[in-house]
Amino acid sequence: MAKSAAVAAPAPKKKFYFDVKWIIISAIILFLVVFEVFPLLYLVYRAFFPEGSFSLEAFARVYTYKLNWTALSNTIITASASMILGVIIAFPLAWLIGRTNLYFKKFFRTLFVMTYMVPPYVGAMAWLRLLNPTVGILNQWLAKIFNLSEMPFNIYSVGGLIWVLTTFYYPYAFITISRAMEKMDPSLEEASKISGASPLKTVATITMPMMMPSIVAAALLVFVSAASCYGIPSIIGAPGNVDTVTTRIIDFVYLGSSEGLSDATTLAVFLMLVANIILYLSTFVVGRKQYITVSGKSTRPNIVDLGKWRIPVTALVIIFAIIVVGIPFATVFATSFTTNMGKSLFEAGNFTTKYWQVVFTRQQILNSAKNSIISASVAATAGIVISCVMAYLLTRTRAKGRHIPDFLITLGSGTPSIVIALGLIMTMNGKFIINIYNTLFIMIVAYMIKYLMMGMRTIVSAMSQIHESLEEAAQISGAGWIKRFKDITIPLIAPSVVAGWFLIFMPCFYELTMSTLLYSTDTKTIGFELYQYQTYHSQQTASAMASAILIFVVLVNWLLNKVTKGKFSI
Amino acid sequence: MATIKIDKVRKCFGNVEVLKEFNQVFEDKEFVTLLGPSGCGKTTMLRMLAGFEKPTSGTITIDDKVVSSDKTFVPPEKRDIGMVFQSYAVWPHMTVFDNIAYPLKIKKMPKEEIKKKVEEIMEVVHLSQYADRIPSQLSGGQQQRVALGRALVAEPNLLLLDEPLSNLDAKLRESMRFEIKAIQRKLGISVVYVTHDQVEAMTMSDKVVVINDGIIQQVGPPMEIYRHPANQFVAAFVGKIDFIKGEAADGRINITGTDQYIDYDGELTGKVVVAIRPESIHLCKEGSKLHGVLDNKTFMGDVNDCYMRLPNGKGVRIIAPPETYDDYEIGEPIGINFDTFHVYEDDGTDAATKIVT
Repeated sequence: MAKSAAVAAPAPKKKFYFDVKWIIISAIILFLVVFEVFPLLYLVYRAFFPEGSFSLEAFARVYTYKLNWTALSNTIITASASMILGVIIAFPLAWLIGRTNLYFKKFFRTLFVMTYMVPPYVGAMAWLRLLNPTVGILNQWLAKIFNLSEMPFNIYSVGGLIWVLTTFYYPYAFITISRAMEKMDPSLEEASKISGASPLKTVATITMPMMMPSIVAAALLVFVSAASCYGIPSIIGAPGNVDTVTTRIIDFVYLGSSEGLSDATTLAVFLMLVANIILYLSTFVVGRKQYITVSGKSTRPNIVDLGKWRIPVTALVIIFAIIVVGIPFATVFATSFTTNMGKSLFEAGNFTTKYWQVVFTRQQILNSAKNSIISASVAATAGIVISCVMAYLLTRTRAKGRHIPDFLITLGSGTPSIVIALGLIMTMNGKFIINIYNTLFIMIVAYMIKYLMMGMRTIVSAMSQIHESLEEAAQISGAGWIKRFKDITIPLIAPSVVAGWFLIFMPCFYELTMSTLLYSTDTKTIGFELYQYQTYHSQQTASAMASAILIFVVLVNWLLNKVTKGKFSI
Repeated sequence: MATIKIDKVRKCFGNVEVLKEFNQVFEDKEFVTLLGPSGCGKTTMLRMLAGFEKPTSGTITIDDKVVSSDKTFVPPEKRDIGMVFQSYAVWPHMTVFDNIAYPLKIKKMPKEEIKKKVEEIMEVVHLSQYADRIPSQLSGGQQQRVALGRALVAEPNLLLLDEPLSNLDAKLRESMRFEIKAIQRKLGISVVYVTHDQVEAMTMSDKVVVINDGIIQQVGPPMEIYRHPANQFVAAFVGKIDFIKGEAADGRINITGTDQYIDYDGELTGKVVVAIRPESIHLCKEGSKLHGVLDNKTFMGDVNDCYMRLPNGKGVRIIAPPETYDDYEIGEPIGINFDTFHVYEDDGTDAATKIVT
């Protein structure tokens, strides 16, 4: 005990004293301010001051041009429609899987959640093959069966866009809603039943109202994701001349002129505004109304018996799964082995593995894959370190200012990728001291801004489930903070750290939107490579790459499940 | 040696003062209990002793060494204290052995010595056969003992216990009370124990500090606290009590709303409250101090728990011998006698006596 007197640090109250936490918070804030806040603010500035002086000229030019209006309305229409359809699909699915005795619940759950981890452009590629107005496989098949003179569907349309967006963004709603459903304390419903309410009455008066904030949050999430999506409209919209705000922005940037950049900026400001309003609504308006609280007890929601409907409903879900997951993935997979896309894969001589060989031998593709792996790994590693620090600050300290980086990270994840990338292009090209243009670093920074929150949320929730007294017990045993972190905290949150790392890694790995704007000849990514093959060179090669990515996603997911002993899968 | 001096310690959370000026000296080898209802500030005081909270002002001295003052603050890991948490805080990723060995590993003790000491302490807390289990394979009581073993293994002079028995079932709680007390005696250490359970406080402590609303109500040995409660709150919180309102004048207390009175030679005058322990009341048919009607009786086996209604409507609880159950009928006029009672000034607020948890 004699030794400890020396360690007793002076801590005068109510007086400024040095705290290492502030340095850490400041460092994180500095990173976010330089690479997120400044570029976004500059974007707004450029929109109103295109040549350095205030002018609405760019706005006037952009918003009087008819094509832009069409793009705006297309974005609003497709995003709204997929939002509504997505929730209509997701709510019953979440309820059936979370709260009834549907068959194969676990399998369906994994299947629908996994779609979340699949790059959206893969869906676009598949549906393009299936519903092409002249050679679409499904179209031809349907025409043959029903003896139609015309092809029933045309994927190159607003409707086609809505369909693909819906099938790829409903999992967002599904995950949000089913998470809330599983967390709901069953005794709330039991209390309603014991008060004499019928099951239907209980759903209407207790379950639905309690779920409402989550449903609204899910809807907003689908809307903003669909509105800021580039992968799907770029693949489907471009050939069909269906423009959206995101494709217009990229087109303007590719013009390369200063005017093009100004126009891109003005459109991006619109998208940013929409996204930020929605972010505000879902965190501060809807978020406040979240009734569902996690209780320490493991809650077992009561299961509704579907009775005689059990088999028919299960059949319905299977059909849905086949249409939305089975057919598209199978199509992409099959395409990757097809020599002549006009013929069936099963015709003699039409099967080939050459596209797969291309994927694994062509230097350019391997380089891009390497770039993606490097930048995604660095982003995930740096991101998870920041996430751990943030989680510690948020759940274990009352350090002033700890909510500032939290807010900025949330803002970053709510900002459309295309806006982040555009902001970075305009500011990180040496104009303002920093020049990371055309490097992998700009890619990494963009990925971190966009996907950091995935990791942070995972670790925050893990940390908040660890009772503080576990750390205090180590402290009273004599362990300093480093030792406590190493011996107690890290082993307990390890599975979440692993999961959080992959949650950042995966979307970065196959990222397309930001890569499209930020790439240079030496820093192409696998997502962009795939897009180029799909659009310009060889759909089969693109399909082989997509299949490889899919297999990689599934493998990683399986690995994650093993490593974390079933606690986590994506 | 672990003498604790708490000098003018105050604690505020924001603008809320949870602990008003706290002055106490806890002697070496003393078993001190901080007793009070939830939210009274007792756990905050304990956490300030441990170093998890800093006092807003005031000084805490352990072993003549200032651990907490305006100028000094020794963090928990440097205080050499053992502590048992309410939630046990047994680390789920370590075995029983590793949990208990942890404080010694921090001290970088040689392996063989750690093994020897841990085995000794596992003997003390009856866990020897569970060394290799992980906590999820243990019952609540066993986890509790792991926490206790871990707190004791480094041979601290001071052991802090934060409601350690509140999550155990009644039988286990009873046996743990005796175990903790026996271990304290055997090891000769100072203990500060936080609880809201007056029986725990009564059975284990050398000294009880009764706290309410962040203010110390009374300090003393259990018997004194029980027999001579300083105020209505302490009387009600420690044990069962009947409060009867009256007016003191001319050597007697006239019971409000009745024409009955009891003799009184104390100093108080005016409105007062008479406090009587139900178990010190005797039932009788005639020749009583106060009388009323038997309102209710409950046979509890070892006692007869009954109520007499005074003419003013007030019910008086009586813990009577079991045979009285047979001798008295509900509705029958009865009387009561008692020798010891306390009289408190009646300030008109009953609130203090109602928050008993």
